[in-house]
Amino acid sequence: MIRRQLFGIALGTALATLAMPVWAEDPVKIGYTMARTGLFAEAAPSQENAYALWQEQVNAAGGLDVNGVKRMIEFVSYDDESDPAKSAQLYERLITSDKVDLLLAPWGTPHHLNVAGVAERYGFPIVGNTAASVAIREVQPGNIWFPTSAIPDKIGPELAAMLAEAGVGSVSIIANVLPFSQENLAFLTAALKAANIEIKMSENYPPDISDMTPLITQMKSAGADAVLALTYPADAFLYMGQARELGLKADLQFMLIGPTIDAFNKAFGPAADGVVTLAHWSPAQSDWPRAKPFFDAYVAKFNQEPDYLDSALAYMSAEILTQAVAKAGLNKDALRQAIASGSFDTINGEVRFEGVQNSVTPTAFVQRQGDVTELVWPKSIATAPLQ
Amino acid sequence: MLDIILSPQLFFAAAVLGSLYALIGLGLNLVYGTMRLLNIAHGDIVMLGAFSAFWWFTLTGFSPLLALPLIAALGALIGLGLYILLFRRQLAQGLDPVAIEARSLLLFFGVSVVIQNVTALLFTATPRAYRHLDEVFRIGDLAMTGNRIAALACSVVLLTAMLVFLKKTLFGVEVRALIQHREAARIVGINVEKVQIVAISMGFGVTAIAGALLSMTELTTPFMGFRFTIASFVVIILGGLGNIKGGIMAGFLLGLLEIYAVTIFSAEARSILIYGCFVLAIVLRPQGLLGIGKKV
Repeated sequence: MIRRQLFGIALGTALATLAMPVWAEDPVKIGYTMARTGLFAEAAPSQENAYALWQEQVNAAGGLDVNGVKRMIEFVSYDDESDPAKSAQLYERLITSDKVDLLLAPWGTPHHLNVAGVAERYGFPIVGNTAASVAIREVQPGNIWFPTSAIPDKIGPELAAMLAEAGVGSVSIIANVLPFSQENLAFLTAALKAANIEIKMSENYPPDISDMTPLITQMKSAGADAVLALTYPADAFLYMGQARELGLKADLQFMLIGPTIDAFNKAFGPAADGVVTLAHWSPAQSDWPRAKPFFDAYVAKFNQEPDYLDSALAYMSAEILTQAVAKAGLNKDALRQAIASGSFDTINGEVRFEGVQNSVTPTAFVQRQGDVTELVWPKSIATAPLQ
Repeated sequence: MLDIILSPQLFFAAAVLGSLYALIGLGLNLVYGTMRLLNIAHGDIVMLGAFSAFWWFTLTGFSPLLALPLIAALGALIGLGLYILLFRRQLAQGLDPVAIEARSLLLFFGVSVVIQNVTALLFTATPRAYRHLDEVFRIGDLAMTGNRIAALACSVVLLTAMLVFLKKTLFGVEVRALIQHREAARIVGINVEKVQIVAISMGFGVTAIAGALLSMTELTTPFMGFRFTIASFVVIILGGLGNIKGGIMAGFLLGLLEIYAVTIFSAEARSILIYGCFVLAIVLRPQGLLGIGKKV
């Protein structure tokens, strides 16, 4: 009897050892901070959701491939309270105290710029995502990379080119006074002038504006061919609702940030049809075979659509990290080299870096057409013509 | 310029905005007037009202307007809970009003942080919105979305009802007495505890209703409350602290100021003009439009 029991225990142990070689490996600790509270808290979930989805998918597939060895992913994350300085302090803690193996990026341009200093100091490579400013080019190359192509000095000329091709002769512009809108306004104004597109009206507004009736009434009176609202999410909702109420009509309606948020389509439905906005990814692009599965998995997990900018960029950054780690492992020098010189297959197609920037993905715009958000510019990646 | 000023569209926008400001200010004024509690978590009650309306609509599919009594009751319960847990004993100690103001300011700061973060923890910070009553109605040059008409109508009805209640009922007289002179009210036999309980419940209730009305036209997030806290303090200081009628007038005035300042000057000048007028009003009439706590 005892012999039979001992045999059972020995057999069970042997089988468990054979079946679970992966579990013997320590998990890979990946650190990041997120603006879970404070000023940017409403924008950050779309990024953190993408991280959570990536972790779930990788772990479900047996773990992260580290030089041929599969290891589970374990997140170590903190709330940076939307404070870029705090984010930098916490990244230092993640590196020195928590001793994480890898890092993911925080939310937003100011946080990225602050964290870039920490990455540089410790020689710790980070693939950024939701930073979009010409200021990122001032960052010392070598330890941080930015996959986005939504940079204001590219957006202005591309938007002007799209408007010119659509036969737009005049525009009215309203812009939030916050930095991303103002940076875009500066480059857009110059590009519109260069393209001989008349600016019939240009007004700034504060981020805490409560009613846009006067501004939209002015836009309506200006009678321009296109209306360009350089919005942030909260005022995008205000603008859209009140533009609808006032019957603002134009050949083309562009909004900077807001329409790619899931809640926007839930709030406006068919009324948002035709609105053009900033994004360089869409699940409708069949040339990127992983785009639609990412979209479907995100919707299944969170019961909402991913943000076409932030969620897509966050997931792309994780994909780049996955592929670089598979090739180079966790050694920082090898990883740095792999990211800087590699070519990555992402949900947004191929990504390669020159300096700190993605040199492949073009600056692009999407348009809501029925139930689908189509890429409409540039033609090289467009999934539908501009309507 | 005259045609702009006389535009019915701008007047409608000012009326909607002003009525919501007045409603939010009324809630704060009831709490401050009767108890001298400086509720800087006031905007977070607006947020909770907005979230309640969002979830009601999302889960049941019924109009959030049908849930207004329920949402008001939820707001009232929160107010009552905070009163019992944090303020009843302090108010019973007969502290100096300045001490009560200082303590309540700190306590409500903590309450604000807790409400925001618990909401974010429960529902995430993801922005929420829904479509309800979004048909546009036109009368001549005036265009109005159904949800904005509903917000205006509900606010005006509620403000009128509250004014009538405070003016015509015995309980209203007791509230006014407490606002005007706390000790005298106690001496003449008013049940101060009862009045405080009803005032904080009503104050939080109308504020939650304002949040529910706002949710039909604005993005709902756990951190949306701060600007409503600021607006409500501007309203009650402009109208005279504890002066209910003055506060309602100030709410509408703030709405008019905001819309016409943007129209006549520029959107960038909005904050400068609003807060400039606010500072000027404090300097010229520190007692508010109608005086501090003197009238309903």
